[in-house]
Amino acid sequence: MTDLSEKDLDTHGTQEDGGRGESSTNVLGKILGFSLGLTLIFTLVTSLLPQVEGEAPVEKKVDLAALTMDDFVAMGEELFNNKGTCTLCHKPAPLGRAPDIAGMDMLATSAKRLADERYKGEVKDAEGYIRESMVDPSKYVVATWGKKGSNDTESPMPAVDKAPIQLSDMEMDAVIAYLQSKDGGEVTVKLPSPEAAAEITAAPAPAGTVAAPAANAEEALVKYACSACHSMTNKDVLVGPGLLGVGVRLSANEIRQSIIDPNAVITEGFQPAMPADFADKMTVKELEMIVKFLVEKKQ
Amino acid sequence: MYHKNKSVSAALRSFLGRMGILFLLMFVFGSTSTAHAAGQGASTDDVKQRIAPLGRVAIEGQKFIEVEPIVSAEDTVEPMAAPRPSRLDYPNIGVSSRAVVWILAQMHLFFGALVLAVPLFVLVIELMGVKTGDERYDAMAYEFMKISLTGFSITAIFGGSLALALFVLYPDFMAYMMHVFGAQWLVYAGIFFLESFFLYTYYYGWNAMRYGNLKWLHLTLGLLLNGAGMTIMVLSNSWATFMMAPSGVNEVGVVIGDIWEVMKGPLWNPINLHRFIANIAFGGAVVGAYAAFKFLSTRDPVKRAHYDWMGYTSNFIAILAFLPLPFAGYWLMAEIYAYSQQMGITAMGGILAWLFIVQAVLIGTILLAGNFYLWSGMSRTEGSVRYQPLIKYIALVLVVCFLIWVTPHTLILSASEIAELGGSHHHILGPLGIMPAKNIAVNLMLVVTFLSFQIYRRSDKVATVSWVKAGNALLVAIYMVAIVNIVFLGVYYGYFTNTVYKVGSSVAQVTSTLLVIITGIVIDSLMYKNAKTLPSHWGRIPDRSQYALFALPIAFTWLMGLMGYVRSSVKTHWHVYTVMKDNSPDNFIPTIGYAGNMITIVTVLFLLFVLFMFWVANLGATTQPKPVIAGEGGVG
Amino acid sequence: MGNTKLSGMGGMLVISVIAFIIALIAFYGLNHLVMGVQGLPLNLDLSPAG
Repeated sequence: MTDLSEKDLDTHGTQEDGGRGESSTNVLGKILGFSLGLTLIFTLVTSLLPQVEGEAPVEKKVDLAALTMDDFVAMGEELFNNKGTCTLCHKPAPLGRAPDIAGMDMLATSAKRLADERYKGEVKDAEGYIRESMVDPSKYVVATWGKKGSNDTESPMPAVDKAPIQLSDMEMDAVIAYLQSKDGGEVTVKLPSPEAAAEITAAPAPAGTVAAPAANAEEALVKYACSACHSMTNKDVLVGPGLLGVGVRLSANEIRQSIIDPNAVITEGFQPAMPADFADKMTVKELEMIVKFLVEKKQ
Repeated sequence: MYHKNKSVSAALRSFLGRMGILFLLMFVFGSTSTAHAAGQGASTDDVKQRIAPLGRVAIEGQKFIEVEPIVSAEDTVEPMAAPRPSRLDYPNIGVSSRAVVWILAQMHLFFGALVLAVPLFVLVIELMGVKTGDERYDAMAYEFMKISLTGFSITAIFGGSLALALFVLYPDFMAYMMHVFGAQWLVYAGIFFLESFFLYTYYYGWNAMRYGNLKWLHLTLGLLLNGAGMTIMVLSNSWATFMMAPSGVNEVGVVIGDIWEVMKGPLWNPINLHRFIANIAFGGAVVGAYAAFKFLSTRDPVKRAHYDWMGYTSNFIAILAFLPLPFAGYWLMAEIYAYSQQMGITAMGGILAWLFIVQAVLIGTILLAGNFYLWSGMSRTEGSVRYQPLIKYIALVLVVCFLIWVTPHTLILSASEIAELGGSHHHILGPLGIMPAKNIAVNLMLVVTFLSFQIYRRSDKVATVSWVKAGNALLVAIYMVAIVNIVFLGVYYGYFTNTVYKVGSSVAQVTSTLLVIITGIVIDSLMYKNAKTLPSHWGRIPDRSQYALFALPIAFTWLMGLMGYVRSSVKTHWHVYTVMKDNSPDNFIPTIGYAGNMITIVTVLFLLFVLFMFWVANLGATTQPKPVIAGEGGVG
Repeated sequence: MGNTKLSGMGGMLVISVIAFIIALIAFYGLNHLVMGVQGLPLNLDLSPAG
């Protein structure tokens, strides 16, 4: 049947040449017009909607020397609404997917939640509670807002210090400052000091400028200036305990912990003075080299 | 000026470098693949060792302290981690790199979708021809293949251009992707050879393997063609889903899993399913336009009958594949939320959310066009009079639901905007703008579209089974209860309970819709098993109905472009979400108006290329008449 | 035929009522099933039981 019509097509084409051709062109014109018209309607709809650009977060230079608490609070509000992406979820009912922070008294709420028996964190004040909620949201999950099926033990909120949000410590402080001041409370976070600023600008600097990883344990000890406080050759006390024979006293895991989290266990008679940020600074390789080096320091 | 020079020379250098990689890829097949695999294996072990957990540290009487593997900035200087290009590392060619890639990628995807889908339903139609012994099916299947054949070359051309553009414009990103996917790229290239082999043997062997056992060999070739096509699709889908939800790499992008773990990210299968179904709908819509064009440009009743039937079949394929698409989309969105709540909200509640209003307009257009075509088609049969009165109610439901669906939902961008608007949503339109109302509307539209479809299918038949009354009563009851249930679920859980139940009830809504579709198909297929068929007249359909067949592909094409914009934009300022930042000048989400213009550009381009494809297909069937020598006269 | 028509009318009513009851039970069950599967139990009157 179709074969027949193919044959028809050919005779049609040759015999009524002009007629078919013209009609074909007309049809083409009509459908092109129709299609383009429809496309333009869709384009028009998009141009009638609000035109908003989703800017990528831009790293801003903050002059910390001249920073006032008001600036810091304003910075926190800006972070809360933009880079922090908090308002994606924390917004008024019925649209919110998390408690409406902007609409409630965070100071009173923090106190209430810290007193709740379901609270699993360690902090005691509003500042600590807000910071903890940002970096470890599951420490306290507000009733009904937990992950489905977790019975409000697990929060769907991402840790804001991790990708993709990646707020720095200073930025989290700013957000805390904003949340504290918003309800007329006292702001307890400290303004970042200019020294802190130096550290902040150094930390996220491009990979090229970061000091090269140490090649061996001795280099690593120099790089992190361990021997400024710890003697490596005897048991004398400089600032911290001497490390000769530390391998006898402590296991590899204990040494590792002492470096990563120095304040967890403090040798009797010492003040907690050791920097707690080696975990952020050392590479795994460096840490392991140091640990191995110290474990082998049996005498 | 200095920068410009520098970037041009950098572009040239990286271009040459990447070209080198490309040629290596293409020609030094075996040796590179083994060398690469070996190299990768060794370095993977190294990485595993380096980032292995440090052991558990505990103090007596205290809990274990989980020590996270620490990865510091230093690691990024190693080639293993995701690169962190600065803005100057992106070549500046004077026009937006993103726009170039956008157009090339979209064209590649349009044609790719088309040529993946057509062989799929061609195979089914061919099989139907074998089963029914009706030669018309076979002829139509062959014609579908014929008109899309050039599409394969066009897909490859745009694919190659896209790859080149990416290598030139995003060298660091592509270097990283090449590194992560490694030998998978070679497998991908290899399957192209298979695809071409099966394509040409399938198409050119059509008439050589026409009957008997050879026909089954031909069908097998078709199956293998589809197998190769599907493999190509799922492989390339894995790149897109890796960019959205990386797996098999650690937080700085160091590959820690094997290629399977890299591919099998949380969004891979949802995207595979979604694209698979959408391709069929899209392919059906495009070939339907061809049939409509042929129908309109002839007055020959035989050919009109043929192309009417072909247009009807295409529309049938498109709408049938379109109906389950929202459910696949729902699964995809649910997986996105499960992967990252933030990403989900960026899509549905952030600045991108406005575009779901455009999506509503497009899907509304598709549903209205599909329904309109079905109603027009009822003029082909004499038995359709019975169902005519229903049409106005279906039309009413469609229009009302459509309006509810496009009611803007006031989306909150910032606290200042809330203040400006004086509340979180509009006082009157508000309740209609939020999700439950839209869910009700969408589900009702799907239900009544299925109803259109069902009465169309019934219109040329008279059931002869004894339980006609009971079956019809059950069907009417199912429709009515389903509609009431969908409204009840939306209103009650959507407005009077909490969010969790609100979200959960939308699943119950789509299940209700599915139940209607399934019971409808089951009851009708049993009831009309040995039904009396009324005469139906192909070609007896008003010309204006054919415009629905043009509206469908235009809306589908535009919709694909739009959803591609969302899918890609939810990554925000990341090339690979959370792993590799996008520092290019185009790392922001463009406005919806800009996106609309881009989508229109690609849609029009696609339209032109499709016209070319159809024109080439018809060129093969045309023979120039022998020139008539003056004075001789005679036949042409 | 008149007789069958009358009983046809009555029969149709009975059939319709039965059909509605079947559909109601089916969708009522469906709601319980689908919500239950998602961990969102319902009371007998379909109000949330969670």
